[in-house]
Amino acid sequence: MPHTRDVPDEAPPFLRTWRRVYTATLIYLALIIFVCYLFTRFYR
Amino acid sequence: MSSLDWIVLVTTLVSIVAYGLYRSRGSNTVDRYLLAGKSMPWYAMALSIMATQASAITFISTTGQSYVDGMRFVQFYFGLPLAMVILCATVVPVFHHTRVYTAYEYLEKRFDAKTRVLASIVFLCQRGLSAGLTIYAPALVLSVILGWPERATTAMMGATVVTYTVLGGIKAVTWSDVQQMAIIFVGLVISLVTVILLLPASVSFGDAVYLAGAAGRLNAVTTHFDWNDRFNIWSGLIGGTFLFLSYFGCDQSQVQRYLTGKSIAQSRLSLLFNAVAKIPMQFFILFIGAMVFVFYLFVQPPVLFQRIELKRIAGLSEFQPMSEQYQRAFEHRKQAALDLVEAHRAGNTPAENRQKAEYRAAQKELDAVRSNAAQLVESTGGEKGFSDTNYIFLSFVTRYLPSGIVGLVIAVIFAATMSASSGEINSLATVTVIDIYQRHIKRHQSDRHYLLASRWFTLFWGVYAVVFAGWAKRLGSLIVAVNKVGSLFYGSLLGCFVLAFLFPKVRGTAVFCGMLAGEAAIFATAWFTDVSWLWYNVIGCAVVVAVALGITFGAPGTTSALPDTQPQE
Repeated sequence: MPHTRDVPDEAPPFLRTWRRVYTATLIYLALIIFVCYLFTRFYR
Repeated sequence: MSSLDWIVLVTTLVSIVAYGLYRSRGSNTVDRYLLAGKSMPWYAMALSIMATQASAITFISTTGQSYVDGMRFVQFYFGLPLAMVILCATVVPVFHHTRVYTAYEYLEKRFDAKTRVLASIVFLCQRGLSAGLTIYAPALVLSVILGWPERATTAMMGATVVTYTVLGGIKAVTWSDVQQMAIIFVGLVISLVTVILLLPASVSFGDAVYLAGAAGRLNAVTTHFDWNDRFNIWSGLIGGTFLFLSYFGCDQSQVQRYLTGKSIAQSRLSLLFNAVAKIPMQFFILFIGAMVFVFYLFVQPPVLFQRIELKRIAGLSEFQPMSEQYQRAFEHRKQAALDLVEAHRAGNTPAENRQKAEYRAAQKELDAVRSNAAQLVESTGGEKGFSDTNYIFLSFVTRYLPSGIVGLVIAVIFAATMSASSGEINSLATVTVIDIYQRHIKRHQSDRHYLLASRWFTLFWGVYAVVFAGWAKRLGSLIVAVNKVGSLFYGSLLGCFVLAFLFPKVRGTAVFCGMLAGEAAIFATAWFTDVSWLWYNVIGCAVVVAVALGITFGAPGTTSALPDTQPQE
């Protein structure tokens, strides 16, 4: 059975490098946890 | 269900199958059938990943969970973005560059054949057990709520899934997942809007949110740490990260989705989309449950939402005083809620605090009656650990949502079942063909031979899932235990991949022994302790890594691959 074909690696469509995209994702996570925390506090 | 509901449901199901098969034309080689010829765009993979993860019981149970316990279940997903970033940076490019069909194929390239076989068998056991339950669990709920025979519902969902999965392969699975996710989104938005519209005219949306919060139903973050508590920020961030690393990095049902990407970037984007979208989506679903709770502040809910058990205990003498107490508690809570809203609007803080205490006391009274009724179910021959959480949302939908919307929500349940089930069946067939059949039973056959084998194994796993779903009822309360089966196996699989990626000196035999020790540790934890299942992944992974490293550096002679290992073609 033939192997699957290899696929190219490309730069992300935004923020230029993958490292920046990952950092943005982690900042987003921190923000969303903070928003959830504020939401909990506000409506407790 | 009305005629309009049936039209909506049947049209939705037929369109899902037709669209999936239409998009899967040309799946005539193994590469195209199992990996879509590596041609999928990121958005299709992203929605397919999301749809595969979210089974029907996720939607039914999550809303009920929020009704009973609030929104803290959302913390379970806090580890997801962390896991996705780690996987995008490590696993995704390696899987693509090594040109594998399955995650376990990579293990032979890195270690040896026996490690690959062990990992494949662990996957087949774990996913095989859950495949039947994915179909059975919603069938059971629909049978209780709508009175449909379980076997008919199971057969209907199973036949639809098997048809497009066998005929169209992964392309059909992926494109039908996209359509199913769209239906799920639309259904959920309409559900929330309808719940809000059904609130009494005197209660605004702001009041509803305030009342949900005052009853502790908007507790999205809890910072208290407890090993036995499944949902707090720590179990979500640590346990959740390990669980999602295992699920998206080592479970073929997910790995196969992003291996279909036309580039590594497309695969990464599909995972990162989930990292960003999943938490808001779960928040939204939980919020619907919180709003259903507010709706039932003003419309008396049944003592239990599982109507068959409720009907059974309604004739008992113990139930009558319970029912009267429940009626009084409901009226008390309703009045307390209205008074609380009034005090809140007036900005009268002392009165607001007083009313809040009153409102919470009434809620406790109501919860106590529900708890007593559940105990009555248990003590009179009902299921051990009885809970009606899974029946709350659908019970609300069928009683109060307008005609047409009910059909749409039932279609959402079907769509979610089919998307999760098709992914499971497809991945089970792939591992069976690639890691077992092609590797150990029939080597050096033509592409056409393996394509045909893939279709037959897909059919086999589809029929197996339906038959197992029909038999699952006999498991009784064991279903709850079997549902946790994923966490019993994921930890050791993750440990295996951690060793593969991070410890180049470790060899196959050490990993093999580590996996066996990891499984033993997880089963011992599950059997002898009360530690929440979310931590099993952390424990299993840690034991596998520790044992394998101990063997590698403690007894170097045992670290080489066994002589019976054959190089893979």
